[in-house]
Parts: sequence; structure tokens; C-alpha cells
Amino acid sequence: MLSAHAQRLITLALAGLVIAVITRRPEFAGVAAPAVLLLAVRRPERPARVGVTASPSGTKLTEGERAELTVTVAGNRGFSVDLLIHPRYAVVPETPDGELAMHGGRSALPFQVTRTGRRSLGVLEITLWDRWRLTEGHATVELPIVDCYPMPAAQRQRVVLSRLPSRLGEHPSRSSGEGLEFTGVREFVPGDRQRRINWPATTRRGRLQLNTFAAERTQNVVIIADASSDVGEPGSTPADLAFRGAAGAARAYLAVRDRVGVIVYQRSVRWVSPGLGARHFYRIMNLMLVEHAVVADRGRYSPFTRLPRAALPPGSLILVFSPLLDRRLVETVRDLRERGFSMLIIDVLNTEPSGSNDSLSGLARRIWRMEQEAIRFSLRELGIPLVSWDGQQSLDEPLAPYTRRAMVIRQ
Amino acid sequence: MTARTTGAAGMLAAVCVAWSALPLRHGGLAGMFLAVAIACALLSVARLALGRSPDEASAYLNTVQQSARSVADLIRLCPWAEVMIVAVLALEAQHPSPPWHTGLLGAALLAYLFACHLAESRSRLAVLRPQAPLIAVGLGLLALAAGAAALPSGKGSAADVLAVLAGVAAVAVAGMVIPV
Repeated sequence: MLSAHAQRLITLALAGLVIAVITRRPEFAGVAAPAVLLLAVRRPERPARVGVTASPSGTKLTEGERAELTVTVAGNRGFSVDLLIHPRYAVVPETPDGELAMHGGRSALPFQVTRTGRRSLGVLEITLWDRWRLTEGHATVELPIVDCYPMPAAQRQRVVLSRLPSRLGEHPSRSSGEGLEFTGVREFVPGDRQRRINWPATTRRGRLQLNTFAAERTQNVVIIADASSDVGEPGSTPADLAFRGAAGAARAYLAVRDRVGVIVYQRSVRWVSPGLGARHFYRIMNLMLVEHAVVADRGRYSPFTRLPRAALPPGSLILVFSPLLDRRLVETVRDLRERGFSMLIIDVLNTEPSGSNDSLSGLARRIWRMEQEAIRFSLRELGIPLVSWDGQQSLDEPLAPYTRRAMVIRQ
Repeated sequence: MTARTTGAAGMLAAVCVAWSALPLRHGGLAGMFLAVAIACALLSVARLALGRSPDEASAYLNTVQQSARSVADLIRLCPWAEVMIVAVLALEAQHPSPPWHTGLLGAALLAYLFACHLAESRSRLAVLRPQAPLIAVGLGLLALAAGAAALPSGKGSAADVLAVLAGVAAVAVAGMVIPV
């Protein structure tokens, strides 16, 4: 079709010529001459077929990870190409105005996805120009969808229970076994391995003494991510923080070969049973990815307070990432404590109700804060440790009191 | 880059309007054409400065913001530059100005159109390189026409011949547009 530039040239040519005829002043025909000459070279032709390929460097990204979108245009046959990206929500292209520069029919655009979820990258607008800039053609291409996983929070230290199930792992337990951590010396009995004889102690006591070591055990960890409250600033809501914390904790425990399960708690409950390995980590991440998409869903609440037994192996350590705004979850946590599970709550509440500064709103906010404090106090009274995490710092900092020594289970 | 070309387009629009308005004539059609030319020049520059309409949905905007967006959309919708060209040429025709005056106005209008195109398409000046020879020839024709108009006229003068040629050219330009 005619470009806007060509339409303006036509206007100039027609206006100049018409005024020249009406006023019988030939200089107006001269005004029209350059425009007429430029329009005369226009050929209304178009490329038969233009192929556009847009592919991101990866379809599975984490929040804030830098990726690259490569756009290839073929068959434009001498027409120059302008590319403009209209990004969708949470997609941030690293170009100020969304324009892509073409080099040899190819263009690369670095971008980031800033929030968890299944995200469409946006729409690519393609404009073709002939060499005289008189004919233009437009096309739009829907860009691919990428999966954006939550950015796992940093965690190096782990909370370990004092009583561990008898499965081989990497945590030193109280019972003696074949591990590496030295626990003491005892007298040799027939059947003991001779290579463990402690010769200095044997020389001192005159009887054969043996080194003993702690058995190394694994533990079951179940992480509950409470995504029922998606309030506050998008990108740092309690749900976002819960997913990031859960992802970080899952990665930290899977790294030491613990069995990790995840329960995503919102209007309904979905879970991944405890397992181990790198593939299991992606199973967990996929669960969070799918569940993040339905955080804003206005579905009906299911009135449950008990979590399924299949998701909770006996003797598990339960880490709860929650803002504790959902009464159902608070009741569920109480129920789990009464069932004898050892739990630790990581409070991710980072916002409070907004409102005007009048006395009534201030009073309502104070009551709300007191209610929140009461909920936390009642949970501490039940023997559930509770720490706060703001989403910025490492998880090691709030968990430090519980990672220095094994966490004792109080029944 | 876009800000610079938009600024250049604004300056050229101001030059065109001022040049065509000189010498000043009060009342009648000249006043009306001058008012239309000034308004359209301002709106055409505003249209370039506004750029493309934003991608985000307007559902969450308040009434004032929605009204501002509607006004901006209206400014983007209308071809202000085309109306300004017609108004400026009509204003120039109201004056008994010498042919070189009109010739310079034509050159300024052409420069304004190219500045508008560069600002609108966010392109660099280099994209006009293929058209440079044609622009040079066109400006040469413009100079020739202005020179011919400056010749003393008499019976069967060159001006009449040029008027006939202008009529033929107008029909030809219209013919080029109609198939599109």
C-alpha cells in the first residue's frame, strides 16, 4: 500500500498543480515537480512471500535470566525491513523503544522475563519498505511462549532433624554407623573392622579400642508454598516470595540427596511427592509454574484443613512459606503440628492493607496487625518456630538459629 | 534521533508557515488559511512527538488519563501534515509574491515532508540516499519553473504553456493515485 510519505507527496503535487492551473502561476507547478518526479518512479510491486522466524535462545527461563530472541526475515527481495517488538506483561526487551536492528536478514534482541509464569513474549510488528519509501507493507507475528520459573532463593545451610529415617544419605545422625563424622571411642568386640582400631587409645588402656562414626542418613523434606495471597506489588507478592523460597529450599535439599516434596497451597492443593534428583527439581518447578498461572484465578475455595497423607511421609521436616493470611492454612499448620510433624514457618508477608490516613483506617490497620501478631503468637505457643523472610536476603539468615544444630522434634 | 528529526520537522513547518504568510495580509481568506496552517503545523508536530499509541490496555486508566489518550488518538488519526501543505500553498497563492519566493517555499515543503517521514518511521537520513538524484532533478525543475515564471509575459507566453503542462501533470498524478 501507499506509505504515508507517498500520500503527503501526492498531496503536495496535486495542491501545487491545481493552484498553478487556477491562479495561472507556473511557479506552483514547479513546487509540484519534485513530488511528481519522486512518485513517477514508484512500482506497485510486492514480494511474493516473506518468511519470518522468531526463536528464543531458551524456552525455559528463570526470573531475570537474560535470553535472546533471534528474528530471521527471508524473501523480502530488496525491500528494507523494520522490526518493532510489542512486549507482553513481564517481558522486558533490552532496547529502549522496542526496535530491532537487522544485520544480514537477522536480528537478535536480548530480553528478560521478570515474573514467574507461562509468558508470551509479545507481538512482532514487521514493516517492509521499497527503496523509494513510497510503498509499505505491515505484518504482525505472534512471538513464542516461554516458561519462566521462579528464581530460587539463595540457601547454603540446611535445617536437619535430630531423628532421621534409616536411609543412607549425607546428614550425620545420632546413631553410629559407617559415616565419616567421628563420634567417639569404644572397646573392640569380635566382628569389628580392624582398620578402625584406635592405636593410641589401645596403647593407653591396654585393651583394643575402636573409633566410632556417625551414621549418615537422608531426610524427607516437604515444602508448602502458600500461593493463596497474591497481594502487594506484582513481582514481589507473598505468592512470588513463597515460590522463590520454595524453589531455593528444594534446590538446597536436593543437592544433598534429600527427598523433597512440594505442596502448593491455594484454592486447591497440588503436590509432588518426595523424590530426589535433578529431574525431580524440574518436576517441582513445573508444578510451581503451572500453579502460578492460576494464582489470580477467582475459583471457589475448597473447605479443607487436612493435607493428604500421600504428600506427607512420616517423620518429614515441613517448611512452610506463607504470609499466614489464609485461615485455612493456619488451621492446617495446627493440624500438622498436632499430628506430630516437625515444622518451620517462613513468614513471607511483606505488605499490609493500604488505605487513607484517617483515624478509622489507622484503627483498622492496627486491629489487622494485632490479629496477625495473635496468629503468629498462637503458632509459636504450639511449638512451631516462625521466622520472617523479606525475599531479598539469603534464606540462611532467617534460618540461622535452626541450621547450626539438629532440630529437635518435640512431640 | 527521533527527537532530532521531530524538532527539524517542527522548525521546517514553522519556516513554511512564516514564509508563506509574508508579507502579512489581514482579513479575508489569507487570515483563515494562516490560522489553519498554524494549527495544522502544531498538530502535525504533536503527532510526530506522540509517536505510536501505547501497547498497554486503557481499562485501568482513570477518566482524565482515558480522555488524554482519546485526544492523543485523535491527533494520531488525522493527516495534519497534508492539510498544512494545502493551507500553506493556498496562503502563498493569496500573495502576489515573486516566483523565487514560491520556489523556496516548495523546497522547504519538500524538506518538511522528508523530515516528517524520517521522524515517523524512526529512520536514519541514509534511507533517503537512493532518492537523492531524483530530489536533485526535482529541485532543478523547481528552479526552472520559477525562472520561467520570472520571465516577462506577453501574448502566447511561456506561462500559458506551463499552465497547460501543469494541467496535464495534475491529471497524470491523479491517474497514479487512482489504482491505489
